[in-house]
Amino acid sequence: MSQLRTKTKVHLLPYLLILPTLLFVILFTIYPTISSIVGSFFQQRLNIPRYRDPVFYGIGNYTDLLGSAGFRMILGNTLRYVAAVVPTTLVAALGFALWLSHKRHARFRIAIFHPTILPMVSAATIWMFFLTPDYGLFNTFLRFFGYSGPENWAANPNMALWSLVLIAFWKDAGFYMIFYLAGIQNLPGDVYEAAKLDGAGPLTIFFKFTVPLLRRTTLFVTTVAVIGAFRTVDHVFIVTQGGPSSRSSLLLYHLWQVRFEYLNIGQASTITVLLVALLLAFTISNFVISERRTTDA
Amino acid sequence: MPKKVMIVVLMVALATAVFATGSPEPETETVAIEIAYPVAIDAPVTEILDGYARAFEAENPNVTVKPVYAGGYGDVKTMIQTTIDGGGDAPALAVMLATDLFDLANAEYIEPMTALLDDMPGSDAYLADFLSAFLANSYYMGNMWSLPFQRSAVVLYYNADMISDAGLDVPNDWDSLAEVASALTVRDGDTVTQWGIEWPSGWPYWLFQPLAMGGGQNIVGDDDTTVYFDDPGVIDAIEYYISLSADYGATPAGVQAAWGNVVPNFVSGNTAMIVHSSGSLSSVLSQAPFEVGVMGIPGKRRGTSYSVPGGGNLYLVSGLTDAERQAAFDLAVFLTDPARAADFSIQTGYIATRSSAFEDAAMKEYVAANPQAGETRSILADGGKELSLQNLGQVRSIFHNYLQAAYNGEMSAAAAMRAAQEEADAALADFR
Repeated sequence: MSQLRTKTKVHLLPYLLILPTLLFVILFTIYPTISSIVGSFFQQRLNIPRYRDPVFYGIGNYTDLLGSAGFRMILGNTLRYVAAVVPTTLVAALGFALWLSHKRHARFRIAIFHPTILPMVSAATIWMFFLTPDYGLFNTFLRFFGYSGPENWAANPNMALWSLVLIAFWKDAGFYMIFYLAGIQNLPGDVYEAAKLDGAGPLTIFFKFTVPLLRRTTLFVTTVAVIGAFRTVDHVFIVTQGGPSSRSSLLLYHLWQVRFEYLNIGQASTITVLLVALLLAFTISNFVISERRTTDA
Repeated sequence: MPKKVMIVVLMVALATAVFATGSPEPETETVAIEIAYPVAIDAPVTEILDGYARAFEAENPNVTVKPVYAGGYGDVKTMIQTTIDGGGDAPALAVMLATDLFDLANAEYIEPMTALLDDMPGSDAYLADFLSAFLANSYYMGNMWSLPFQRSAVVLYYNADMISDAGLDVPNDWDSLAEVASALTVRDGDTVTQWGIEWPSGWPYWLFQPLAMGGGQNIVGDDDTTVYFDDPGVIDAIEYYISLSADYGATPAGVQAAWGNVVPNFVSGNTAMIVHSSGSLSSVLSQAPFEVGVMGIPGKRRGTSYSVPGGGNLYLVSGLTDAERQAAFDLAVFLTDPARAADFSIQTGYIATRSSAFEDAAMKEYVAANPQAGETRSILADGGKELSLQNLGQVRSIFHNYLQAAYNGEMSAAAAMRAAQEEADAALADFR
């Protein structure tokens, strides 16, 4: 009897301990995800009386979205944005971390890190001044070298998206540097001593030791960076509003437009599902690839 | 064992504390209302609004008013939507774009004011006193939904000194506008040191509308589901805009992300003419060391000029108790009082919404000192309808996409507007 009671308690306690977190996850992650998946199969548009209550629409929202050239362009913008922001930010973060891991450079850390503590809205507003046509910092700088254009960064269809990439790079590189700094400072010193004794050059040491030893950090940082890149949207609001001609519109910005400007809840749910699916696909494949490498090694 | 019990008790206590919500409501006769207000211009509007709220409270001791400043127009609207969708208590009164009427009413985010106006003595005279262009976006489904509050118009600001020094006349049609702009563009080698005209692309449809009207056709029809994007007059207007840079070299080419820059450019004498909101008038007049002229946008035919109104109206947000609804309506009427409309106009540069406001002593004095403020009112006398229709968000975004593609030379004006018309018709099909 007493044994049984103990057993029950041992089983109960862990659940009680995770209960608050579990409730939050259910309430703010699992429930919204399921409700978005369900919602994506319904036509619900707040500004049309007959669709104000959800009407079953099958995969109509999916075919509407994926069949629209505008949405495919926004999807493409987002993938290009992520593919540009993540690798450049990561390489720069690692470079900064290597440079600043030395004690004598430590005082520069705050300079590299400080963009991180600014809210994205403030950062984007600052960058508006850099990107200003005519007398903006960038144009003045380029003119110094005798270059008279491009003048209008945020409104040029071929540069608007890259302006956003630039802002995100400036803002995030310092943040990811912190993780690499922590990773580098935890590297085993004896391995490096041995490598040096064996006459390995700095490049060999970097590619054969530092990069592989930092794989765990890289896995973490890539995952966080990709999710972050998909999630950032503030600078789109401030700098380009997705324009010109939606050339710098990103998935999350479009989601806001569809939900709050077009009042199309079904389609907004569908975009949410696609966004979650993209992120899951990436995160899982990232883990799988990384794990396989670890077991191969 | 006691340790485990304690942990369990602590967890339960923590969970309860985290999820416990609600606070006891004070049981008094006082009505507390909030007014959501978007800050859209460079003037100390929060101080002005706070002052009006305190004055209203002094006249109505049983009502407390809390202004909520939640960003710009988009933020206020999103805030109202999320609060209502989430079942929360939204502010009772909100200033939102006059053009948002159809979507807000269809989605039941707002309540009509008709019954309250019917109960109000002298409501017919009250409504008739508003400038008619500003009331155009207040009626739908046989109801009256909003009261004009912070309203503006598209205007052309010109540096009158620069024009007369060059021996030119103030432009009065498309050709003379282009010629004056071209004559006032100054180049130093390849670099332009002074632009003849700047036509920013913030609010793209809005600043374009007077141009389309000048070409012979407004982009929006009188009913709530018709657009005229592919009308020859509209295409003509786009081609004219492009010619200002391509043929006359008088304005920077393409889409201009320069809403915030053109006013500083104009007042510092680096740009001879700008197209902007009349809401910038106070700031332009206080900074410009030269004679500033204000007019509508010249049309294609000689002697014509056009404008459209813009800005925000006061809406009653849905889900109010009777007491809150009455208090919010009273506050809306209080805010549109002629003396207050005059004061608000003088302090911000928005156009006073009521005819009688222009009879106000302070307003008369202000207009005598700054005749341009009186000018904006007459510009609106023959203003057209601002783009406002069913499914506005989507139709507007379609139009922006193609207008910008044409401005940037990615598509011809005719091809872009054909595509825009096709997509807009599809987006409006469900509403016809």
